Amino acid sequence: MLLGFSLLVIPWLSYLQLIEMERLLIQSRENVQLLLARGISTLFNGRDDLFNDLPLSYPLEYEPLYVHPLTTSIRLDGHAGDWGSGLTEKAQHFGPARADGSFDLLMAERNDQLYIYLNVIDDRRVYRSPGYLRLDTADHVRINFFETNGTDGRITLTLHEPGVASAYRMSNDWRFAATGAPPANEVQGSIAETESGYGVEFRLPLSMMGSRKGFAVSFADVDNQESREIRNIVQTLPKGDKESFNLVVFRSPQVLNIIQGLGYSGARIQVIDSQRRTRAETGSYGTIDSANRDNPAAIDTRAWFTTIRPLLHKLIIREEWRDQPQTESDSVFDRALTSALDGQPSVLRRVTDDAQIIVALHPIVSKDKTLGAVIVQQNMAEILTFQEAAIEQIVLFSILSLLAVFVVLLAFSVRLAWRIRGLRREANAAIDPYGRLRASALQSEVKAGDEIGDLARSIDNMLMRLNQHNTFIENMPRTLRHEINNPLNTLSTSLQNLENESESVRNSKYLESAKRGVLRIGAIVQNLADAANLEESLETEELETLDIEKLIENYVANFQLTHENHRFVFRGTGEPVLARVSDYRIEQLLDKIIDNAIDFHRPESPIKVQLDTYREHLQISVANRGPVLPRGAGESLFESMVSHRGRQSRLHFGLGLYVVRLIAEHHGGSVHALDLPDSSGVAFMVRLPLSRIRPPTPPKFEKTEAAETA
Amino acid sequence: MAKHIAIVEDDPDQRANYTDAITKKGYDVTGYASRQEALEGFDRDLPDLVILDIILGEDVDGGFQICRDLLSRAPSLPVIFLTERIDEIDKISGLRLGAWDYLPKPISLDYLAERISSLLRIDEVRGEDDPTNSSAKRIGELTLDQDALLVSWRGQRLDLSGTEFRMLAKLVRVPGHAVSYDTLMNATMQSLVTNNTINTHMRNIRKKFEIIDQEFACIKSEYGFGYRWSA
Repeated sequence: MLLGFSLLVIPWLSYLQLIEMERLLIQSRENVQLLLARGISTLFNGRDDLFNDLPLSYPLEYEPLYVHPLTTSIRLDGHAGDWGSGLTEKAQHFGPARADGSFDLLMAERNDQLYIYLNVIDDRRVYRSPGYLRLDTADHVRINFFETNGTDGRITLTLHEPGVASAYRMSNDWRFAATGAPPANEVQGSIAETESGYGVEFRLPLSMMGSRKGFAVSFADVDNQESREIRNIVQTLPKGDKESFNLVVFRSPQVLNIIQGLGYSGARIQVIDSQRRTRAETGSYGTIDSANRDNPAAIDTRAWFTTIRPLLHKLIIREEWRDQPQTESDSVFDRALTSALDGQPSVLRRVTDDAQIIVALHPIVSKDKTLGAVIVQQNMAEILTFQEAAIEQIVLFSILSLLAVFVVLLAFSVRLAWRIRGLRREANAAIDPYGRLRASALQSEVKAGDEIGDLARSIDNMLMRLNQHNTFIENMPRTLRHEINNPLNTLSTSLQNLENESESVRNSKYLESAKRGVLRIGAIVQNLADAANLEESLETEELETLDIEKLIENYVANFQLTHENHRFVFRGTGEPVLARVSDYRIEQLLDKIIDNAIDFHRPESPIKVQLDTYREHLQISVANRGPVLPRGAGESLFESMVSHRGRQSRLHFGLGLYVVRLIAEHHGGSVHALDLPDSSGVAFMVRLPLSRIRPPTPPKFEKTEAAETA
Repeated sequence: MAKHIAIVEDDPDQRANYTDAITKKGYDVTGYASRQEALEGFDRDLPDLVILDIILGEDVDGGFQICRDLLSRAPSLPVIFLTERIDEIDKISGLRLGAWDYLPKPISLDYLAERISSLLRIDEVRGEDDPTNSSAKRIGELTLDQDALLVSWRGQRLDLSGTEFRMLAKLVRVPGHAVSYDTLMNATMQSLVTNNTINTHMRNIRKKFEIIDQEFACIKSEYGFGYRWSA
């Protein structure tokens, strides 16, 4: 599992790297932008001429009127639909918002014509009546400008009706058309009614205007049809200052031409003069949404990332996530602008409503003064997008690698468990329930090179040594018999010779006891050897199908003959019970069980032998009244060398019941011992499989009944 | 002239005991401790009967080799194995080599003497011209010659060891009558016999009959008691 956790280091490192990369990217972007700004500014360095077309000092409260370059031709129809949405958004509003008589002004320039569009809000339209000579008795538009000769030019655009508007050069009091002056045919206009008032569209040739680009527009609103008094005049100039003009700021075409080629996607380049007037701009920085507009899924992932990013950030960096790391207020921007105009380039980041922007400012200098500044603004969307893709990759990679590690670990542990289980199964199978070795070597895993292989080899080695030891133990009784029989024979024959040597010795009771001792040793050794050889000799035994019923019946009858002081009762099934057995092994088995029963039975009580058949097997029960089984004796009764007889036993080595078990198991059966239900004695039960040549018969006695009758 | 009996036994105490006991019975006894010694002795003078231990010191099969050697010289020489190797396989190989009997230790010296005299008499009887003398006893298809230790079943000779012969003789003494394990044990003339030993002998005898007659079923088990001959 540690391995799995250590894998988490990868996403952690990746994230740290990402943060660093992000910083680096932004920094490099900033540098690039600054370089770009600087590059652009060098184009303007020393070009005083480009900036001198506007007066350097102009009252700041006078709003300059911006003239935008127009790319398409315009139909003068009173509608601004053909100006292009980019331009109509740049309209300047004069007068109180939405108030009667206020208007939006839009100015543009194309082919040396100045195009002007007014969107006037007027709740009561009053058109000029032909009955009046005065031109100020109806709604009209006044235009002030410097003539080429430096004098004031005054033109009124009168509104007769929707459609073509007429222009007149006006006298100083704005009431009548100027006498002697030619009609202002060069000024053409058109009027259209809108829902809230008028749309007035007109143009005049730039040649009419002098080098001082003074220009002002006002709208005179007449609301009363009867009195035809001018109710209100909304003008582009501050109120009460009739002598001045607005400054018309042309987006300098030369400047624009210079920077237009530099504009590239995602960047907005602005050139401002020292009065902070925008002289030209090109390109737009766009928004993140516009960058992702084509891909709705991207918006989803972005939403997902804005949720997960702070979490991830906190988790990895242990700092609170600031979604807008360097929010720059407008005042900071202003300060940067001021310092740029003071000759100090700078880079900052600002956040607008819909985008994070990097802003680079670089001054334009000429000799010892600052002409203006270049502002390059670029969206960070690309970096953010990169960021998201990178985080997505990190998260995905982490999940995948964790998953892969998990799968590998799982597979590894499953394989390990499987191997260990296999080894355990084999190790278990190597020793039978009685502790005898069944295999002296392991088959599986011993060739494996890992720790399990080592374990298997050591178990294998253990088994091998255990097997050697076991073989030694198993051969012990036989070896012992071989070794003991010789001295025993010496002893025996010596005693016999001694007996024959003299009369006194022959009658000695010590000779008799010595002979008995020799006999007993012989018997002990014989028994031990027989038990040790039993398993081996059972293997060579030939089995034949016999009637067990008859066998036991005869056996019990014969046994009764030779043991007259005990009583035996046999209860059979009354019909042949066939099984494949070795007859005298069954006899030996009965010998041992009945010997055991005789040893433990209460005097005068009968020993009951019963044969039952079940579906697949037969059961021989031998029951006697007497002491119950020792507590906890259980199966250990049937193990080699286990005797529960206590000290009085002499020739018993716990071999009898062991022999019973071996014989029963050799015939595919089993042996059990249990107390009688009333605790009056013990029953031994041997189960042997029935021979298949006979169809199974239902049992005649239940097992419990067998025990009770015993 | 006393019969000459050779005893090959590596253990000096046992050899001395045998020698003493058998000498007392009136035989001429020579004891040998090793195969080498024995074979050299036999080169000089072939005995009338040989008692062999199998393991002679380091020579674990010494007895068998002596037996093989002796019987190649005198095929009718009575040979008794007297050994601590009482595994069935040793017994079978010993009898196959042509030994007359195979006795496990410890041995009763009286029984041993009895066997010796019995075997010597049999040897004599067999040496006579007419083997089918009056001592032969017929029980149904079975012919039993106690003196010559010869058994025939339906006219065919059976090759039984001395012990087997005595057990069979006991069994057929009263045909149809069950003979107890104890009686059969006495017949083996061994000091240490279990039911298991009897069963093993009986099975071997049965097998020998079955070689001649597959239908043979005269030896019946009386489970829990002994055996019975029923013709």
